[in-house]
Amino acid sequence: MKSSDIFMITASAEDIEINKNELAQRLNVERGYTNEIIEACKKSLMKIINYKCAYIRTHVDMREENICEFGFMKTESKNLYRNMSGCDEAFVMALTAGIAVDRELARLKIISQAEHFITDAIASAAIDSFCDYASGLMKNGLDCAVRFSPGYGDLSLTYQKPLLERLNAQSLLGISLSPSYLMTPMKSITAIMGIKNEKHT
Amino acid sequence: MKSILELMSEKRIYFDGGTGTVLQEMGLPAGQSPELWNITNPDKIIALHNRYFDAGANIIKTNTFGLNRDKFENYDELIRAGIKCAKAAAEGRSEAYVAYDMGPTGQLLEPLGQMKFEEAISVFSDNIKVAAECGVDLILIETMNDSYETKAAVIAAKENCDLPIFVTNVYDESGKLMTGANPAAMIAMLEGLGVNALGMNCSLGPDVMLGIIGEFEKYSSIPVIVNPNAGLPEVRNGETVYNIGADEFSDYMVKIARGGGIILGGCCGTTPEFIRKTIEKTKSLPYRLPDKKEYTCVSSYTHAVFVDSDPILIGERINPTGKPKLKDALRSGNLNYILNEGIQQTDAGADILDVNVGLPEIDETEMMLRCVSSLQAVTDLPLQIDSTNFDTLEAAMRIYNGKPLVNSVNGTEESMRRVFPLVQKYGGSVIALTIDERGIPDIAQGRADIAKRIIQRAGEYGISKKDIIVDPLALTISSNPESAVVTLDSIKLIRALGVKTSLGISNISFGLPQRDIITSTFYSNALQCGLNCAIMNPFSVAMMNVYYAYRALNMLDSGCVDYIKYASSDKKSTSKQTEVKSEETLHSSIVRGLKDSAVIQTERLLENSEPLDIINNHIIPALNEIGMAFEQKKAYLPQLLMSADAATAAFDSVKKKIPSEQSDKSKAIVLATVKGDIHDIGKNIVKVLMESYGFTVYDLGRDVPPEMIRDCAIEHNCKLVGLSALMTTTVPSMAETIKLLNETDRNIKIMVGGAVLNQEYADMIGADFYGADAMDSVRYAESFYGNN
Repeated sequence: MKSSDIFMITASAEDIEINKNELAQRLNVERGYTNEIIEACKKSLMKIINYKCAYIRTHVDMREENICEFGFMKTESKNLYRNMSGCDEAFVMALTAGIAVDRELARLKIISQAEHFITDAIASAAIDSFCDYASGLMKNGLDCAVRFSPGYGDLSLTYQKPLLERLNAQSLLGISLSPSYLMTPMKSITAIMGIKNEKHT
Repeated sequence: MKSILELMSEKRIYFDGGTGTVLQEMGLPAGQSPELWNITNPDKIIALHNRYFDAGANIIKTNTFGLNRDKFENYDELIRAGIKCAKAAAEGRSEAYVAYDMGPTGQLLEPLGQMKFEEAISVFSDNIKVAAECGVDLILIETMNDSYETKAAVIAAKENCDLPIFVTNVYDESGKLMTGANPAAMIAMLEGLGVNALGMNCSLGPDVMLGIIGEFEKYSSIPVIVNPNAGLPEVRNGETVYNIGADEFSDYMVKIARGGGIILGGCCGTTPEFIRKTIEKTKSLPYRLPDKKEYTCVSSYTHAVFVDSDPILIGERINPTGKPKLKDALRSGNLNYILNEGIQQTDAGADILDVNVGLPEIDETEMMLRCVSSLQAVTDLPLQIDSTNFDTLEAAMRIYNGKPLVNSVNGTEESMRRVFPLVQKYGGSVIALTIDERGIPDIAQGRADIAKRIIQRAGEYGISKKDIIVDPLALTISSNPESAVVTLDSIKLIRALGVKTSLGISNISFGLPQRDIITSTFYSNALQCGLNCAIMNPFSVAMMNVYYAYRALNMLDSGCVDYIKYASSDKKSTSKQTEVKSEETLHSSIVRGLKDSAVIQTERLLENSEPLDIINNHIIPALNEIGMAFEQKKAYLPQLLMSADAATAAFDSVKKKIPSEQSDKSKAIVLATVKGDIHDIGKNIVKVLMESYGFTVYDLGRDVPPEMIRDCAIEHNCKLVGLSALMTTTVPSMAETIKLLNETDRNIKIMVGGAVLNQEYADMIGADFYGADAMDSVRYAESFYGNN
């Protein structure tokens, strides 16, 4: 769908500080551990990473048990329903680190498994950190539920499809979805973040 | 009524604007596909088109953007209904045309995505057939953000109708498509494919397009279409930037028209008002079709490489002639070896990579397709498709993502008759060899005459001489003493014909000792004669010395920047040994994960030690040390992998000294991530460790069906199989594989691993061993072969 209520957030590599806990966990190392190759991989990755986010703010109808009606899609999920309790609006978002990261990973897979593993871990931590950054800008003081993505709990991955279509994610972000619901670029996220109604006037 | 192409040659024509925006005003709910209205609300769709025609648009886009067989079961019905609406609106109007509008499939193509190129062509072909049957004035392929999918759509259009083809792509604020192509690359590919107009649409608004219109003006020989969005609300650094209104939009369009925009219109967010104002402000501006550009170029999925005064290096390493290791790789289907050659040549400074996989005992076409596709995932250099088999050439030109360099055509009638239609259909620049039915002329004039004939014949196929690069053939001076002189004279004569030149440089020294001396000197001479492209070895220091020096001496390297960078890097030095710290040993290099150092230490050791002793006394103990540290949690996984990388590099150096018949095939393992699972990082870690321990690994990749694993084990008589799974949903698939292997041969031992597994699970599905981590797997494999 082409529509003009979609907002974009972009950021340069320097704007996003990669979450250290997240990185350590993905690298399988102690927090704060680094070495020459990890630093070199980080540096090359930061040259090519291209953070982009598209989101909308939309009304959510939660009158029916376990159903969230977003207007453009209707989800059936106990976990999301619980997560969204007390919300009557939501931010719906898609984010990506860009296709150049996929290419770099494909290249590294041929020349070095260590660099491939490390770069993959950094890129995962980076897109998560960008997601935190973008969510922060969206919230802007609003009281929000914890971000929830298709694939969490009982929320089916299939909801990625209407969500990406609604956000015009292919044109705006270059995210495409395979028949088995895998997103390309690999380092992409879709998420829903409920807005609590008590603080919202 | 005049055809759209005739009208376009006379005056500025206009597209309509956005569809979704206007339909939402008419009551289309957000999230609903506007195409459904072709059947449910045709009157509204006709009204939409009428509003745009009334605003002055000449071409309306049918409301068919998102339709294809994968998205809608009744796609054909919806297309027919959409075209019917558009034709109803155009009926009775003058200078009113209907463009069948076709958007992307929504999926990314291989190698990065999952959709096959031919599958994309097939999906698009089904659409085009319906559109052509209904009768439209042109095909508009729009909002494409991937060059490869664009090519699939254009091929589908060419193969299923004779209508004019217009193409617009989505460029972002960096001036590139999402998948990386810049305007020059897209222009090269699309002009090669023979489209009638090209340009940009969607994106983030006319401001972004104004920034790149100059690129189109500079490179395009065909009319440029500009259909921008009305901008989007955007949060940048916490500040919200809003939409562009009709007045501001049309002001931008004036600048775009002055900058080279020929066909103007709008996309998302624009309304009839935007188009009306744009037409008012631009219709009296001077109108001139673009000049024919005479540059020679080829392209990849990111950029174009221009063949001009700056010499072009074409890496020759992916060609089995005289390369036993590459032959081995081709026979065994070891793509990694070939991809690695591609990456190394890219890093060494090649501009284009030659790809020749011709071996009598393999299926050349199939291998060429695999290589071209896989190389285009790991290097962004344009490829030179090199084959004497016309079917192989065609297959590769078809699936190549960009405008290829084709190697080659020659002066024989058969060659020209077979190759030129391919260039005509798929685009490309072609290397033309000065040989014909009578052989290679002994004198320069004879070679120039053949070149002249090839150029003339190409013209008959509509192939411009800018796309002919003549190779006057360097033969070895060891058997043809006059060869170098004749070839150099030929270059001068051929240049005078107004075409670019290329040479396979290395041939000149064939059969002589210290070939680099002759080859590089000949290269220098050829450059002086005006040679443009050299098919050469970018790892040759002597050749690269000539290349950088020539550019510096001929004002092609401003401030000698490239030369200085080259001269101060270690690339030009044949020995890296000075850099390695003296206290470093092979053992410590591996433990510390220092790849370069490990290679140098291995080479030193090889001077005095037996290859197998180096493996057993240095590489394996070092790996054991880091492996133990990892098991005791004193080292982390990245360190273990770095050590494995270093050990593999050392091992590769050692292997070069072991004659291939002696290499140890006795320690082998088949590895696979089971069917349904695409997470292969764990399997890859096991693979690299296994290889560093000297195992031969048959890596089947991810999402591998049980039968394929069985077949591989049988083919290589390998009794050890490792399976990995990361998702709970794929454990049954692992169980199925184990069952099949057990039924096949009870002697096959199966080890399993992966995040979802544990000992209990492994026992349940009948695995022989559960590896908690990669080291565990290696220990088991070692003990398996130790006891057998």
